[in-house]
Amino acid sequence: MTRFLVRRLLSAVLTLFAVSVLSFLMFFGLPKDPVSGMCPKNCNAERLERVREELGLRDPLPEQYANYMKGIVTGRDLGSSQGGRCDAPCLGYSYVNSEAVTDTLARVLPVTLSIVIPAAVLWLVLGVGLGIISALRRGTALDRLAIGFSLAGASLQLYFVGAVLLLIFTYNLRITPVPSYTSIFDNPLKWASGLVLAWVALAFLFSAIYARLSRAQMLETLSEDFVRTARAKGLAKPAVYGRHALRAAITPVVTIAGLDVGSALGGTVITETTFGIQGLGRTAVDAVKAGDLPTIMATVLISAVFIVVANIVVDLLYAAIDPRVRLR
Amino acid sequence: MRLKRAAAAGGALALLVVMGACSENKGTGGGDEADRVQSGSIATDPKESMGPAAEVPGAAKGGTFRVIRETKISHLDPQRVYSFAGLMNAPLYSRFLTTFKDDGAGKVTLVGDLAETPGTDVNKDCKVWEFKIKDGVKFEDGSAITAKEIAYGIARSFDPDLTGGPTYLQEWLADSPQYDTKWNFKANKSSLPPGLTTPDAKTIKFEFAKPHCDLPFAASLPYTAPLKPEKDTGVNLDNQPFSSGPYKITKNTAGVELVMERNENWDPKTDPVRHAYPDKVVWTYGPDAEAGANRVIADNGDDQTALAWNGVPSALVAKVSGDAALKPRSVQGQTPSLWRLTINTSRVTDLTVRQALNYAIDRDGFIKAYGGEASARAVTTLMPPSTIGFEKYDAYPAGPSGNIEKAKELLAGKTPELVLGISDDSPELATQLKGNLEKAGFKITVKTIPTDAKLDEVGKKNNPWDLYTDQWAADWPSGAAILPVLFDGRTIKAENNSNTAYVNSDEINKEFDRVLAMPAAEQGKEWAKLDKRIMTELAPAVPLFVEQGYYLHGSKVGGIYLSSIFGYPALTNAYVKQ
Repeated sequence: MTRFLVRRLLSAVLTLFAVSVLSFLMFFGLPKDPVSGMCPKNCNAERLERVREELGLRDPLPEQYANYMKGIVTGRDLGSSQGGRCDAPCLGYSYVNSEAVTDTLARVLPVTLSIVIPAAVLWLVLGVGLGIISALRRGTALDRLAIGFSLAGASLQLYFVGAVLLLIFTYNLRITPVPSYTSIFDNPLKWASGLVLAWVALAFLFSAIYARLSRAQMLETLSEDFVRTARAKGLAKPAVYGRHALRAAITPVVTIAGLDVGSALGGTVITETTFGIQGLGRTAVDAVKAGDLPTIMATVLISAVFIVVANIVVDLLYAAIDPRVRLR
Repeated sequence: MRLKRAAAAGGALALLVVMGACSENKGTGGGDEADRVQSGSIATDPKESMGPAAEVPGAAKGGTFRVIRETKISHLDPQRVYSFAGLMNAPLYSRFLTTFKDDGAGKVTLVGDLAETPGTDVNKDCKVWEFKIKDGVKFEDGSAITAKEIAYGIARSFDPDLTGGPTYLQEWLADSPQYDTKWNFKANKSSLPPGLTTPDAKTIKFEFAKPHCDLPFAASLPYTAPLKPEKDTGVNLDNQPFSSGPYKITKNTAGVELVMERNENWDPKTDPVRHAYPDKVVWTYGPDAEAGANRVIADNGDDQTALAWNGVPSALVAKVSGDAALKPRSVQGQTPSLWRLTINTSRVTDLTVRQALNYAIDRDGFIKAYGGEASARAVTTLMPPSTIGFEKYDAYPAGPSGNIEKAKELLAGKTPELVLGISDDSPELATQLKGNLEKAGFKITVKTIPTDAKLDEVGKKNNPWDLYTDQWAADWPSGAAILPVLFDGRTIKAENNSNTAYVNSDEINKEFDRVLAMPAAEQGKEWAKLDKRIMTELAPAVPLFVEQGYYLHGSKVGGIYLSSIFGYPALTNAYVKQ
């Protein structure tokens, strides 16, 4: 197991290195001058040149990359136009936000985490639960209801569901407050009430997919020989379904869930835009619109970290669920 | 973000400018101010520059006034403020050398803000200016504001790190667009830029190499806000400016919210324009225009005391304008941003063709394609109605939909082939213009220009287009900041031209010099005459429309009106109904 873990971690580090090199080359090595997006409109040629110098854009690319990575590990001194000393992990300075990119991320990451993690718990519990119940009650009214629910969820879009939820619960019934983010440590109730519509919208759409997937996997597993054997040996239904069938059926669901949560943490752009909450996704989009390269680079990197970490977690869960994986 | 900025213009400041009709609107908010025409004056009596500002009827102190906006204000550091949101917000926490007293209906008076008057032209040649600083003006820590802190504020605007703000004063003092190389702020922090002196604590003096009669106007921009050197945190001041206005910033979370609370050291008796009725002003960032407007329409809880800064989006215009209950909560009116179809006169050299274009234009159709009456109001002049001295005229009367027959008559059977350059984000405008002009006999070829590059591309002298849409919003409401900037042929260079019509008439250029040399009191009418003359004799553009502002606020907000200077909601009269 340790060897497996070490192998996966090494591969994750390599993946992140490749992503960082590629994104750095993409943003700083292409012919388009990155400074024009960073320097405001009244920049003349001389000022642009000074910004290039300060950003180290006149240095060879490998040196620029090394400085960037060094900043992440040990921090670095940026010019006076970028606020001076930038402590580790330094991801550069945003001229658009007038602050270190690390500060921006420190502010928006908790927002995205607060949206995604509770929503993921909701959609997994609701989706997987509904899928399994539907499989076990195949052909009943409950099954048909679950299929209808998952069809509706799969065919709707978040910006529509979100707008409808806002219209009903916030603007008309006035049950929920206007969506906003408050730190869970400052006021847990306000934190929950400000994000509940985003959770519901995300959970509704995602749980529909998980309900369909879980139902199909469960039905397939229930028709396997080992389930019939277990039942024939006289094992109780809960033990067969819970200990044997569910364990086998859940494996693909874990894979999909890992990827979904990983990519959602990388930025729930549509959710954040629909509900007007500034998280990582919206920050990335704003940075693209404003040509704020240090912020774009940082959001790409952090999203890659989420995906890679989610993959490691999935692999570990796989190994825990299916002993055969550990042997490979 | 300002799409265009007025360049410096000369002229002579005089004692009093009163042009056009005055109106009685007290800027108490509500209603449609679409047809207002500017009248303006420059105060001479120091009493006009003293406070307290006249009470807004019905206003009361207290409460929290909120502003909902999609994105954060780009800069808060007064020396870097230049966006419309920033310009409207900065007076809440900063004071400047001069400022505009605005009745919200088009009557503006330039008064002293920190200065006792809007300045003295010492030698009557617009080269040496003196401002005397008021007694009793203070920073948020209670220390006195003197000429030294104001001069330091102006000096730091030379710092190349502090990008984003206007550059009139810096360029005028250094007598060069490369002002930051002429005087190095970082190396000379204990001194002042050339031409800027403080003979004593109450006096700040500007000495220019060339006459700059618009200085009192230019001094109303936020870069004249004072700062104590020990409070200068460089680029970080952008997150936490040091207040000299009625509020101080108590919390600023970029992209989330900006909280301003009462500055107890601000003395209303020294302030001719600010009221500071609410105890607190909070900008909340995040919701897009539609979400912001929907929140204010729903009028729940905190949103009852909120203003939707991003305005009423086109998707909600019908709903809002059709709801009588929302009328008292809406503020509509013109902005100074004027759109015109610029004719590249270096390519379209035949005056009759340019005149025919003016007859052919279907302004109604163009405005419909742009977004309708709520977004734009037709004009036939080169200066917007919000300009001091504005006079309405139509050099080519053709009705709201144009006069195709008259255009054809002028063309006399010719079918001029014209290339229309249009931003790639507005193909609907190109389709409308092409359809409209081809009916009159023009043959229009549409070529798109990347939106981001359009300003640069049409600013190139030898650009390949005959027609393009342009817009201009001056930083102060004077014809001097519009006509010479846009139509003085002597300023044409290889790139970065504001004169995108590339018109160059010796006669008109002489007129610019003549008017700019006149006392400001007499300039307004002269600019109006020159506006008409340019259109009649040169027809370098087809005036299209001025943009309209359309805003909504909650039921407990009062005192919002559209700034006569910038066309955005002014916040200095805002109050929360108790």
